[in-house]
Amino acid sequence: MKTNIKLAWRNLWRNKRRTIIAISSIVFSVLLASWMRSMQEGSYDSMIDNSVKFYTGYLQVQDTAYWDERTLDNSFKVDAELQNQIKNIKDVSLVSNRLESFSLAADHMKSKPAMVMGIEPEAEDQITNLSKKMQSGEFIKSGDKEVVISGGLAKYLELEVGDTLVMISQGYHGISASGLFPIKGIIKHPNAEFNKRLVYMDIETAREFYSAYGLSTSLVVMTDDHYSVNHIKKEIEQILPEKNTVMTWTEMTPELVQIIQSDRGGGIIMLGILYLVIAFGMFSVVIMMVKERQREFGVTHAVGMQKRKLASLVFIETLFIGLIGCAVGLIFSYFFCLYFFYNPIPLTGDMAKATEIYGMEPYMFVSMKASLFYNQIIVVFLISIFIAIFPITNVSRLKITKAMRA
Amino acid sequence: MKIIEIKNLHKIYNGSSVSVHAVNGIDMSIEEGEFTAIVGPSGSGKTTLLNIIGGLDDATEGSVEIEGVKINELSSRKLTDFRMKNIGFVFQAYNLIPVLTAKENVEFIMHLQGSKKADRDARTSELLKAVGLGEMMDRRPSKLSGGQQQRVAVARALASKPKFVLADEPTANLDSHSTENLLDIMEQLNKEEKITFIFSTHDQRVVNKARRVITIEDGKIISDIRK
Repeated sequence: MKTNIKLAWRNLWRNKRRTIIAISSIVFSVLLASWMRSMQEGSYDSMIDNSVKFYTGYLQVQDTAYWDERTLDNSFKVDAELQNQIKNIKDVSLVSNRLESFSLAADHMKSKPAMVMGIEPEAEDQITNLSKKMQSGEFIKSGDKEVVISGGLAKYLELEVGDTLVMISQGYHGISASGLFPIKGIIKHPNAEFNKRLVYMDIETAREFYSAYGLSTSLVVMTDDHYSVNHIKKEIEQILPEKNTVMTWTEMTPELVQIIQSDRGGGIIMLGILYLVIAFGMFSVVIMMVKERQREFGVTHAVGMQKRKLASLVFIETLFIGLIGCAVGLIFSYFFCLYFFYNPIPLTGDMAKATEIYGMEPYMFVSMKASLFYNQIIVVFLISIFIAIFPITNVSRLKITKAMRA
Repeated sequence: MKIIEIKNLHKIYNGSSVSVHAVNGIDMSIEEGEFTAIVGPSGSGKTTLLNIIGGLDDATEGSVEIEGVKINELSSRKLTDFRMKNIGFVFQAYNLIPVLTAKENVEFIMHLQGSKKADRDARTSELLKAVGLGEMMDRRPSKLSGGQQQRVAVARALASKPKFVLADEPTANLDSHSTENLLDIMEQLNKEEKITFIFSTHDQRVVNKARRVITIEDGKIISDIRK
């Protein structure tokens, strides 16, 4: 085996230019495939982050009736012990209460329906970094009676920081709700739709406004890794009382999941085409390697090398090409994608506008999920094993006298 | 003592339009320690005969027995093993493995045989010195002349201590000096180590050195002279 490995390694470099071209084609293909997948998954992560982090959260614990009829009457009292138990589940990064409802927001001249989010400001800020998205003024703190409104709403109502927002709504069990709220800050919400109609206030202020004392419409559960959502859901289900249910972001935003799935499908078809190109590139190199060495194969078999050993020699050579290409490709891909992970490509023009309409930040993000990289390696490695069937077949059919005339 | 016994050997190549009877009913035997040249014009069947004796090609009819073993009855795997242990080959175009040094080329068969490193080193060194290449062990074939490569090929052929060496036109690509040199080495090995050599050749210098000359024409032996 040691001799075979030494022979295979040297054979690889007897035609350096060809080997370098073969390896480069694999490196380039791995890079392209990783980059493509990384960008694709990065854009999904961004979509999920924007839609999920800023609205639904990765999971929500709700009253069983809330999702079908989203009114304050289907809110529930959060048990502090339950909240603590959820916090202690592996991969849960944060648990935060929300009280969501609607209200008519007005100034002295105009009014507009607004979405009111009663939040735990410090917790919410950890998730979304809302305080860093302030257009003017400051983000609210726990206990504040003031509110933060979105830029679009402020513009429509012609309000500024320090002005007062009038809100009229219906509270818990039909109680009328009205109040005057000083504006502490104006936020530029990354989701264009939310930017037109969002009002953030401290949850206690919201509970007071809606007379929903001690109640929440949802308990938002956050994780740093959206791939762990399913196991978190299972664990929450085990500790939930009967009147509550837990929903994942995929259940709450099925249209987003559908968009991602259909786009991912298209990407995988493209990836398949790319793999075919890789396979044909490698195959042509292997054919050349085998055909130009027929005489050598004939001689080595003539002097006593079994066909099995000869086949394993060529198999090792093919694997070497695949492995070197994959390893170098992995290093290149990783650092290439890492650069764009920290420096996402800004979108401009119509593309940027379209992205913003869909509630996403106008950047091309990349994902650094490890599986995106090692999956390419596995596939290219499997391709090289598959291609190695050709030289094995060729050697098994070898006729010494014919090979030595080649 | 007979080491090779050939009986009623035929080889027919069936082409698309014509059949060629390359070997046509050859009966012969080779004694241990012989230095035999098989001569004849191009297309007379010399190389085919050598290939069949060496188990590189199948006979259409007849048998080749090497020390009592009918090689045409061996399976492909056993035949490869048999070749490795019993037959040394020297080819017209040297056919060394280009990525291995002279030493590694000679060692190659011993590797296949599973010899120990110390044995390999000793035998390789002994053989390369015997063919006058003791100082060039670490050179790859591309750094050796044609004559030197063919000497490495002879050393390789002898590495497994074969019962006999088959040399197909070994001097065809060599200049006069290299040819003389190579023939002297092979003659010396034949005399001193009793190694049996069978050549196919056109070269009169080889014929002059041989102690037995078998002439073939149209696949048949037309003369068999022992000097």
